[in-house]
Amino acid sequence: MKSVVIAGYARTPFTTAHKGAFAKVRPDDLAAAAVVGLLARTGVDGNAIEDLILGCAFPEGEQGFNMARLVVLMAGLPQAVGGVTVNRFCGSSMQAIHQAAGAIQMNAGNAFICAGVESMTRIPMTGFNPSPNPKLYAELPAAYISMGQTAENIAKRYRISREEQEAFSVTSQQKAAAAQAAGKLAAEIIPVGNVTQDGCIRPDTTQEALAGLKLAFDTHGTVTAGTASPLTDGASATLICSEDFAQAHGLPILARIRSIAISGCAPEVMGLGPILSTQKALQRAGLSVADLDIIELNEAFASQSIACIRDLGLDTAKINLDGGAIALGHPLGATGARITGKAAALLKREGKQFALATQCIGGGQGIATILEAL
Amino acid sequence: MDIHKVAVIGAGVMGAGIAAHIANAGIPVLLLDITTPTLDKLLKADPAPLMHPKNARLITPGNIDDHLAALRDCDWIIEAIVENLAIKQELYRKLATVRRADAVVSSNTSSIPLHELIAGLPDDFAAHCMITHFFNPPRYMRLLEIVSRAQTDQDALAKISYFCDHKLGKGVVTANDTPGFIANRIGIFWIQTAIHEAIALGLTVEEADAVIGKPMGIPKTGVFGLSDLVGIDLMPHLMHSMKHSLPAGDALLEKANIPPVIQTMIDTGYTGRKGKGGFYRLNRDGGEKVKESINLQTGEYSVSQAAKLDSVKASRDGGLQALVSHPDKGGQYAWRVLSQTLRYAAALVPDIADDICAVDTAMKLGYNWRLGPFELIDQLGVAAFAQRLAAEGMEIPPLLEKAREQGFYRHEAGETFYLQPDGTYTPLQRPAGVLLLADLKRHTTPLLENDAASLWDIGDGVACLEFHSKMNSLDPQILELIEESIAFIPNNHQALVIYNEGSNFSAGANLGLLVFAAQLGGWDEVDNIVRAGQRIYQTLKYAPFPVVGAPSGMALGGGCEILLHCDAVQAHAETYIGLIETGVGLIPSWGGCKEMLHRWSSFRKRPGGFLPPVLKCFEIISVATVAKSAQEAKDYLFLRPTDGITMNRDRLLADAKAHALTMVANYQPPEPPVFHLPGATARVAMEMAVNDFVAQGKATPYDAVIANTLAAVLSGGDTDITDTLSETDLLALEHQHFMQIVRNPATLARVSHMLETGKPLRN
Repeated sequence: MKSVVIAGYARTPFTTAHKGAFAKVRPDDLAAAAVVGLLARTGVDGNAIEDLILGCAFPEGEQGFNMARLVVLMAGLPQAVGGVTVNRFCGSSMQAIHQAAGAIQMNAGNAFICAGVESMTRIPMTGFNPSPNPKLYAELPAAYISMGQTAENIAKRYRISREEQEAFSVTSQQKAAAAQAAGKLAAEIIPVGNVTQDGCIRPDTTQEALAGLKLAFDTHGTVTAGTASPLTDGASATLICSEDFAQAHGLPILARIRSIAISGCAPEVMGLGPILSTQKALQRAGLSVADLDIIELNEAFASQSIACIRDLGLDTAKINLDGGAIALGHPLGATGARITGKAAALLKREGKQFALATQCIGGGQGIATILEAL
Repeated sequence: MDIHKVAVIGAGVMGAGIAAHIANAGIPVLLLDITTPTLDKLLKADPAPLMHPKNARLITPGNIDDHLAALRDCDWIIEAIVENLAIKQELYRKLATVRRADAVVSSNTSSIPLHELIAGLPDDFAAHCMITHFFNPPRYMRLLEIVSRAQTDQDALAKISYFCDHKLGKGVVTANDTPGFIANRIGIFWIQTAIHEAIALGLTVEEADAVIGKPMGIPKTGVFGLSDLVGIDLMPHLMHSMKHSLPAGDALLEKANIPPVIQTMIDTGYTGRKGKGGFYRLNRDGGEKVKESINLQTGEYSVSQAAKLDSVKASRDGGLQALVSHPDKGGQYAWRVLSQTLRYAAALVPDIADDICAVDTAMKLGYNWRLGPFELIDQLGVAAFAQRLAAEGMEIPPLLEKAREQGFYRHEAGETFYLQPDGTYTPLQRPAGVLLLADLKRHTTPLLENDAASLWDIGDGVACLEFHSKMNSLDPQILELIEESIAFIPNNHQALVIYNEGSNFSAGANLGLLVFAAQLGGWDEVDNIVRAGQRIYQTLKYAPFPVVGAPSGMALGGGCEILLHCDAVQAHAETYIGLIETGVGLIPSWGGCKEMLHRWSSFRKRPGGFLPPVLKCFEIISVATVAKSAQEAKDYLFLRPTDGITMNRDRLLADAKAHALTMVANYQPPEPPVFHLPGATARVAMEMAVNDFVAQGKATPYDAVIANTLAAVLSGGDTDITDTLSETDLLALEHQHFMQIVRNPATLARVSHMLETGKPLRN
């Protein structure tokens, strides 16, 4: 087996959809900015890149035309570099990393840029032409269930109260705000224009304020906009290569990819996806939950995060040290590369051994990556 | 010379409202105050001062100190600052230093005479200075009083009058430089009289308003409801500022005192709707809203009681005459208020205005009276009115004396003449570009006619179809007349305008007929009406002559659908168009779905793909969207981008006729559209969205049933994107699904509730 490593991670600021600083910025421009920033920071030779794998959950409109290839051209990479856009909804850019890892194992290239992007302002979350299959919808309506409803289903099934979800959100906001204030996020952020920092974080969030919000998805439910990740615009990028390549090119290695996994679950509780995918990845890595030092668990919703923490028995002190998606935002296609890159960077920063990055995926899936320090 | 840029100084309620309305006319406007104002209040105010939120972009806020120089570019500077002569004059002196030589300066003062405003100012400034008195709220109140002097620059005066009439849509009335001008002079007298007499005769506020409202042709708020609306402190305030300038012995001075009960209300913050309450208030103490009224004798509130007065009942058949001659306290009250008010008005001409038409127009447009004071006297009978005044020992004003024989207005050979102060009669002439069916009706007979509609010849080969059913609701008789008109017009006419002078173009199909048929199980009857509407609207669309719809006020449901089938629309700016069928548990079925789908599918600026037009129509129709202005109707494509908008209600018919005439040469009916619709996948996409709305509590389960029915039609039914559908196919879908949902008891509950309460039922 070859050793596959993460040798760079960068992202644009994440800003609130519709009213944030990137509302008028095209997603391909955002993705190109993240890639250009990554190239500059790592100093990697563009000629050595095999392919740019770009995750995007709704690859249409400005995110269409196989955006990855266009981002190659926009980022000034050599024309010999390929570009492929991949879609696994929220898991898209973690999938990009997995594909690169697989390709490297197959001797199908040594270095890949694995990026992700989503403008939730400019391309609506259902796409412009949502066209469900009427027969499938009749047989299994949950195949197209709204994400908010899945969060409600989990809250009910796991008896997670609104207060518990709100407490989780407050913690996420506090961690993100503290990290931002301490300049810890600046290390990963590539300024775009005059936008230099994240726009979604709400440092003054309190449990009382959250308690006053209206229910967002179900009048009989518990989930509000405050306990869900916000609609977000942003892009992220990682450099995935063989360890040999990194050493040959003098690239600083953040972490090695120890194992990966994908899994499916019932669409109506898609937020539970990380449970099985994490178990599979741990098993493949020959590790247990107790071995994990750093955990990046995507906070699509507070309820599903809490359920995953409970079922996996995760140590909350190790989770999302610099805040999660409820505070930072969740630009669907960009999140996977962010949390994987972040987990790798945290291993380095915190001097730890093993990290997990995992997330749930609409339609009922989970995806997980186990990293280890070299 | 035109007006390209305007400034309003003073960003209070009036100033900001005037600026908003100038923006509504598409003209850039500076809005200055001592400190730079924000537009937040303007954007949130209800009723909306802006006809479209985007009009706010035409308003540039600023402050007098920093942005005075910007006034150099303005053709018209409107002052709407505090009613204080010294402060106004100080501002004028500043304006004199920056104003362009031909720029007009006008004051929105309601109480300070023009000669006082310009005293001591340079002649050229004074020559370009006038009073333009707007009424609140400036967008909605049609009256604009202009006061000028003999020395006023006549070009400047003409320029402002033209702009206010054509661009702002105001009824411009020339008033003399007297206290309160026309409308407030008489209006305040009327309100004060009505209040004093109600107290004196021991009427409740409900009784007083019942007498003053409908029987006198005045909005049902009457006088106490109106006071609550404008603020109870406004009248004393206006009285106070007018007092010093009223001539000695003026009858209004006798009415100036504020009754103790009202003074107490003002002192304790009961200033009307803006305060804690007024003559009426909504008491929410028990959790429910209970309407209460104040006792004018004791100042205590109690639950409002509907007035029961025989005089009011008598007026329903016997009119105003029956009202004032009725012996009950309502009749006595009506006479006391009317006799004094009308007599006062008669005594003021030619002092406050050169002629009676100005006074009648001012009261109609400024206080929403259906008839002006002189028209009211004519209705009472001048001789009888004068006789009763004399019998009660009241002096008869000279003008009233002159009107004894022939009235204030007389109609002769198709013309209307009005009485001049010298006793002669002058023909009433409408300004160029004003065409009114009401005038036409006095001397012509309709080309075709039934109980619900008429077809008129409005000249130049253009016919006008008028609805005159109750609320202009559409029924089989109207449909019949449309069909007859379509057959009739090609013989002698070349175009059709659909227009009427009701408050509302049409409230939609007659729901009463629907309920009646449903109760008897007459589904064939309902079926026939749906089919007849579809057939006749299609015939109208493909008629061999141009058809222009000319709506004003509400154009809802079937009233909207008929506009959608016209070749063009010339809409009054205050037109409220919408497909509201879902509110009563139905879906548009006279071609409304079909036409909206066609408009959105062929709209160039829409997002790509086959779903957006379907979803857009669904969004608009499923929540019964009503556009809040003609400008906004273009956002929804209820109006096409090329449809015309007329600001002045009185100019609508002439504009529509002109619009129709431009289409006559080489007229070709439209090409029938074809439709490519996505079928079941779109229906499912909409159904999913609706289910989420139900879960979120934004829609009821029955809303979902209606929305899914609508989705079945808009998605094209059992079709595929590769198939082609015709108009006939879509009309068949509308018909099929309408006939299905109309039988649902929950739909009938909605319809009945609407008929009984005028409000939608959310079952």
